[in-house]
Amino acid sequence: MKFYYFHLMPYPMEHDEPSSWVTLSNRHYDPAVGHTLYNQYLDQFEHAERLGWDGLCVNEHHQNCYGTMPSPNLMAAMLARRTTRARIAVLGNGLPLRENPLRIAEEIAMLDVVSGGRIISGFVRGIGPEYYSVGTNPTHSRERFYEAAELILRAWTEDGPFPFDGRFYRYHWVNPWPRPLQRPHPPVWCPSQGSAETVEWAARRRFPYLMVFTPITRIAQIYGEYREACDRSGYTASRYQLTVNLPIVVAENDAKAERIARENALWVYHTGLRIPIPFWQPPGYLSEASFRRAMTNRPRLPTELTFEDLVEGGYLIVGSPATVRDRLRVFSDELRAGIVCSGMPAGSHEATLDMMELFAREVMPHFREDAHVDETAGVGR
Amino acid sequence: MRTRATPAERRLAVRGTPVHMLQAGDGPPLLFLHGAGAGGRWLPFHARLAERFDVLAPSHPGHGGSPTAEWIEHISDLAFHYLDLLDDLGLARVHLVGASFGGWIAAEMATMASHRLASLTLVAPVGIKVEGWIYPFLFAMDLPQLVQTVFHDATAALALAPRDLTSVDGLAELYRERAALARVAWNPYLYDPLLRRRLGRIAAPTLLCWGEHDRVAPRVCAEAWAEEIPGAALRTFAGSGHLPHVEEPDAVAAAVIDFCAGPRR
Repeated sequence: MKFYYFHLMPYPMEHDEPSSWVTLSNRHYDPAVGHTLYNQYLDQFEHAERLGWDGLCVNEHHQNCYGTMPSPNLMAAMLARRTTRARIAVLGNGLPLRENPLRIAEEIAMLDVVSGGRIISGFVRGIGPEYYSVGTNPTHSRERFYEAAELILRAWTEDGPFPFDGRFYRYHWVNPWPRPLQRPHPPVWCPSQGSAETVEWAARRRFPYLMVFTPITRIAQIYGEYREACDRSGYTASRYQLTVNLPIVVAENDAKAERIARENALWVYHTGLRIPIPFWQPPGYLSEASFRRAMTNRPRLPTELTFEDLVEGGYLIVGSPATVRDRLRVFSDELRAGIVCSGMPAGSHEATLDMMELFAREVMPHFREDAHVDETAGVGR
Repeated sequence: MRTRATPAERRLAVRGTPVHMLQAGDGPPLLFLHGAGAGGRWLPFHARLAERFDVLAPSHPGHGGSPTAEWIEHISDLAFHYLDLLDDLGLARVHLVGASFGGWIAAEMATMASHRLASLTLVAPVGIKVEGWIYPFLFAMDLPQLVQTVFHDATAALALAPRDLTSVDGLAELYRERAALARVAWNPYLYDPLLRRRLGRIAAPTLLCWGEHDRVAPRVCAEAWAEEIPGAALRTFAGSGHLPHVEEPDAVAAAVIDFCAGPRR
């Protein structure tokens, strides 16, 4: 199994406001604290590469305390120069949120060239509240996503200049300099929450599918649908097309891990993802079929989940190295996921570095039978 | 004692777009265009108008009983859709009444084809940019916040209460209506930047009806409309918020009836 270190770059704080997104006033953001946090988080990424993580994951979110990375490409740029081996996965850029998505083609190509071809390019739509922050019409979300993805892929793979005349994006000359170093283009991933349309689209193009903060029963269901869609497209899904993102808290023993997780991991669900229903569900963001599917099997809101729900539901892995290994076996052997993206909500910077070291020493080596395999070969393009 | 007709349900196809419409009453034709969340409702206001007019109350595509029309992407699409509906029904001239979002559509129609209108009544329309005012973002509100924002008297909201919030079908219907509104109104929010400068083209006699406690489009909006539409009359209603025809149906209907009976209508 491959291990990617994932960071939200949160601004940890408590508050009584109804939402941690869109409306939580940025007067709560202290740039001096932010300076320390950003640099600690980047240090953690660099530490992850030294400890053997295969990839480093950054992501885009806007106007919240949950994740302070409105521009993931900026963070990827810093990592490109401070690391030498690990893949840098931008999970991803919110394609429909951009008025000029050609800029994404340009920035990812720049990163790929500078990093020596280490970039993985996630294509996402952004979650509900993003549409309230950025102003993009959510009823255009899916169509803008597909159109921007087509534009970016063509910009990377076809010799320019060529014209592009879409519904939302129009250019007389598509001709970005530089071109990406990886051929035909950097691997594309689809982090998503399981909408039927995205599963089908990703499977058809061999784009790895990443389930983010999702209960394990739903991961199993969506993986099944993805594999079936790959079969329909005439090939068998590689295990490196099935990816999961969940936080891991490991400590010397189960009791200590649980204590740390209760103190730190719950924050993401109970505060970071405190989002009122209207922000979760911008109108038209889902097709009516997907909306009905979501309402029929309604997932609980993150704020409704107890610690026990999170652990038992498989949103979160918590325990001693032996416990964590057992839980990871479920993902590697039963779900046959090839890549685990995980952050380590340990509390302080020092505690995070210690936890990463424990994980790298006591857990990671037990999953290294595929150490020689390039997880990006033939995948994501 | 007044007779209150039960409306007939009609299913039309306007240039291929399915429309569900309620219709009742005798007299000159009057086309009523509903606001957000009010599709398919036959309210006391309609019943009062039906005593004097042949009231046609279609649901906008995606609202009430009318299915979503994928081709609609701009407010002018809805305005043309209703001009097409008039053509299909063979109605050369109608009295046109639109409330809130429906008032926006009605105003767009009036800038395009004022000669088709015997009169125009706009009940607290949205649709134009008013300096110093930004319409509150209804898409960010839950139901209690919506009620508090839209109505002066919260009990009046019962007339427009969602039919069913417990079943998947009921939730999907609400989601479909919100999406249909967002398609044309998300950004710019509830206005068409081109509409205001075109309002001067409206030649039909125009009545503006406004609640005195409107928190969606307050007094400053009413004044902007009155300033732009030549000769428009403004009537205000002391016991209403954004939807006076829901909160004070008799008074607003009487104002409409009175206005339509005036000279040159």
